[in-house]
Amino acid sequence: MHRFIQKKARNFEGLSNKFIISLSIIALISFLLAFFYIPIVRIFQTALSSDSGSGFKVFWETLSDPFNLKFLGFTLLQASLSTVLCLLIGLPVGYFFAKYEFKGRKLIVNLLTIPFVLPPVIVLIGFTVTYGQGGWVNLLWQNITNSSNVLITIDGTVQGIVLAHVFYNLSVIIRLTIPAWRNIDNEQIEVSSTLGVGKGKTFQKIVFPQIKNAIISSSLLVFIYTFNSFAIVMKLGNFNFYTLEVLIYESFDLLKFSEGASLAVIQLVINSLVIILYLVVERKSRKMAEGKEKGLKTARLSFKGKDWKSTVSLSLAIVFVFIVILFSFAPIIAIIVKSFIPKSPGDSPFWGYSQIFTQQKITPLNTNTIRLFGNTLLFATVAAVISLILSVLIVFVLRNRYQSIKKYQRSISESLVSYLIILPMATSSITLGLGLYLNFSGLSSYYNSVWIFIIMSHVLISIPFVTRSILVAYNRIDVELLNVASSLGASRVMVFRKIEFPLIKRGIIVGGIFSFAISLGEFGATYLLARANYETLSIGIYNLLGSQTLQISTAMASVLVLITALCFYLINKFGDIELKV
Amino acid sequence: MVNVKINNLSMKYEKKLIIENFELEILDGELLVLLGASGCGKTSLLKIIAGIIDPEEGTVIFDKEDITKYTPQKRKVGYVPQAQVLFPHMKVEQNISFGLEAHKLSKEEIKERIKWIAEITQIQDLLNRFPSEISGGQKQRVALARALAIKPSLLLLDEPLSSIDASGRESLALTIRRIQKETGITTLYVTHNQEESRLISDRVALMYDGKIQQIGSVIEVDRTPRNYLIAKIMGSSNVWPVEFLETKNGNSLVSTPVGLITLPYEIKRKITGIRIPPSSFKIVYDLSEDDKVIEFIGRIKSIIEKDEENFRIVVDLKDAHLEYFKVDCKKEMLNIESATNKEIQLHVLPSEVILI
Repeated sequence: MHRFIQKKARNFEGLSNKFIISLSIIALISFLLAFFYIPIVRIFQTALSSDSGSGFKVFWETLSDPFNLKFLGFTLLQASLSTVLCLLIGLPVGYFFAKYEFKGRKLIVNLLTIPFVLPPVIVLIGFTVTYGQGGWVNLLWQNITNSSNVLITIDGTVQGIVLAHVFYNLSVIIRLTIPAWRNIDNEQIEVSSTLGVGKGKTFQKIVFPQIKNAIISSSLLVFIYTFNSFAIVMKLGNFNFYTLEVLIYESFDLLKFSEGASLAVIQLVINSLVIILYLVVERKSRKMAEGKEKGLKTARLSFKGKDWKSTVSLSLAIVFVFIVILFSFAPIIAIIVKSFIPKSPGDSPFWGYSQIFTQQKITPLNTNTIRLFGNTLLFATVAAVISLILSVLIVFVLRNRYQSIKKYQRSISESLVSYLIILPMATSSITLGLGLYLNFSGLSSYYNSVWIFIIMSHVLISIPFVTRSILVAYNRIDVELLNVASSLGASRVMVFRKIEFPLIKRGIIVGGIFSFAISLGEFGATYLLARANYETLSIGIYNLLGSQTLQISTAMASVLVLITALCFYLINKFGDIELKV
Repeated sequence: MVNVKINNLSMKYEKKLIIENFELEILDGELLVLLGASGCGKTSLLKIIAGIIDPEEGTVIFDKEDITKYTPQKRKVGYVPQAQVLFPHMKVEQNISFGLEAHKLSKEEIKERIKWIAEITQIQDLLNRFPSEISGGQKQRVALARALAIKPSLLLLDEPLSSIDASGRESLALTIRRIQKETGITTLYVTHNQEESRLISDRVALMYDGKIQQIGSVIEVDRTPRNYLIAKIMGSSNVWPVEFLETKNGNSLVSTPVGLITLPYEIKRKITGIRIPPSSFKIVYDLSEDDKVIEFIGRIKSIIEKDEENFRIVVDLKDAHLEYFKVDCKKEMLNIESATNKEIQLHVLPSEVILI
């Protein structure tokens, strides 16, 4: 009898782990199939079949269309240009913040990251207020030069697009290279110099190989973000310039689904290649950082005891960093200041705010602003909850180290999940939206349930970031903790509840807020899917961009900035933001 | 408690067998030290016994019950891994009660059990602290208390002293020894350090090449090591391997790294090494020839004070590069000021040479 009970208990424990994992795998695969893979298959289907019959005809026609080819080239070019510029500015700034210790260093690095989490429409409106035709920079220039010439044109120019992309992505380079700079072992540099090697050669042979992978992987990230840029190019491109993402949307808007789908296929292929390359380099750079204890020798930011040469170069560095900080904050400050400037003298500075918190509908908006706020917050909350649940399941399946150590090998279904989550990372938001539209628009209830698909698109976009936040926390857990816990008699559920969960709690909080912030500002997929009553703040602000007064849109944007900044503050309080996917 | 038998156990790691046809018996209530070099498979063995990893082959038997297929939860084994992994987010008290809650003890029972084990392991003052607030030695005692609180039938300790600083090691080792004797729990203690086995073991088992090579009390193993390697692992001084052996006319010629040694009898069995205890040497200053003794010439390299009356000196051998003897001698034999680097002659009676 005793043995019987033991055996039964043993089976139960083994089964309960298997059961939980199997359930997680089934839940994940069903979600991915329903809201991602089947819609993606629909895109391929639409691309490769058309009413006119022959399968590949539209696909080839789209692919060989000189207009499309030209802008495929432009998409690649602007992404490369933006990446190189981000590198040129971001690398030295990253080094500066890695090398020098001073009061407020961490705060500034954190603040520099804010642009990255801002919604793209905020960037647009901030840029319009700062660098636009009647923007502050140009007004200042006209005052100084006493002429009507403008200093910079961002509408319909490449410089406008690239400048906005640099503003948006600079923090990726800065933040991801700081740890790489800090990881360089100073003693290696010292040994190199005692061996008689010069500074240049030391950099080439000792320093550069150690930061190379971090540079490549952060560059690939910037490349992929700018390659898939939508709102910025749609607005600033002003029908002169398109990215693939905008072209896909335009085709969709003109109901040319086959063309749009064909372009989406091309985009997906390019994205996948870059993402795979990124994952390979990322793994290498992570290996490089492992097991290092000593790091770069940091210095206090001070002019004391420096000769004139060092004083000048340090001053130049500070000026450079200061300009970058100004560049990164100016558009945000401009939005907030602009929202309080009265339309005409004597008006209330709060006019814009009073307008957005009334029930009345503001032309050209499709719905009142209270509804926009409500939608935005509701979608973001629901999307965050779903993303969290799915991400915890993903982490659970990927890190099923508990007892899987017995096998030394991941089961096929676990590996399957780890591969299945790569493709969503490589899918742009317009493509996600298009796939959902193509797959579900046939449903009779589609227009009333479109909010579900908007939320699902937000979930798919934020899952890589949320998963990453939780994984980072999970990877810090020592497997032996779980071994000890189970040898002390704890069941699978108890190990999760009492050990794993408390230790990844911060990662979960960070991931949840991050997902909320992403959903808050998501533009592409929402713009494609949303109809009237289901629009969000981002869409509202975008629709107001063309109107005469920017007061209402800047007021809306200021509120969005405030909420985003609050999210960002909370993320920093509970952990660290993950810019990586 | 429990008698543990491990039969015919094999385990692969990255396709290589690191434990092969392994046999071991741990007697009820004893503290068995498993001594082996790093990477010889000791930790894997512990994990197999704890149920954390599955063996390729073989069985683990507690008394008469085959528990090979049991999950860790059902084995009731107290497992203390090498790094003292305490649950970082729980106070010491919660760390200990974790296993008790898992075993569904009532609140009163848990309280009582914690009081009992905290007293035995002397951690009463630490109960309200977090693991980050206590020292390495204290952590190890807490880990021990946590494992013992569930009253396991077997205690597994993986290098428990490895992360403790030198000064605290001996006292912690003796604490472990005392707790083990007080609780009477069968214990398998894994280490690569032979000093620890001398301090606390009932028996010591020497492991290499995936197997137990010799098992017995430390004194037994010291006196009759089965081969040269075991003597070396046990840390005996002045042990050398035998390169070849020739017997002729009632004499044996033994070739070792310290030179050819002639012994006045015929060796009939296979030998792997020789040992000369440090106390077997006699220091001779004026070089002389004596047929009845084995002679070595060397220079004194360093002098260590052993106690009030004795020195231990290290002698660099003249004829064997890089080999040296450890020699015990009375203090009056040496003039400590002028002894270093002095050339001396060492005499050993052939009967003092121990064959391994």
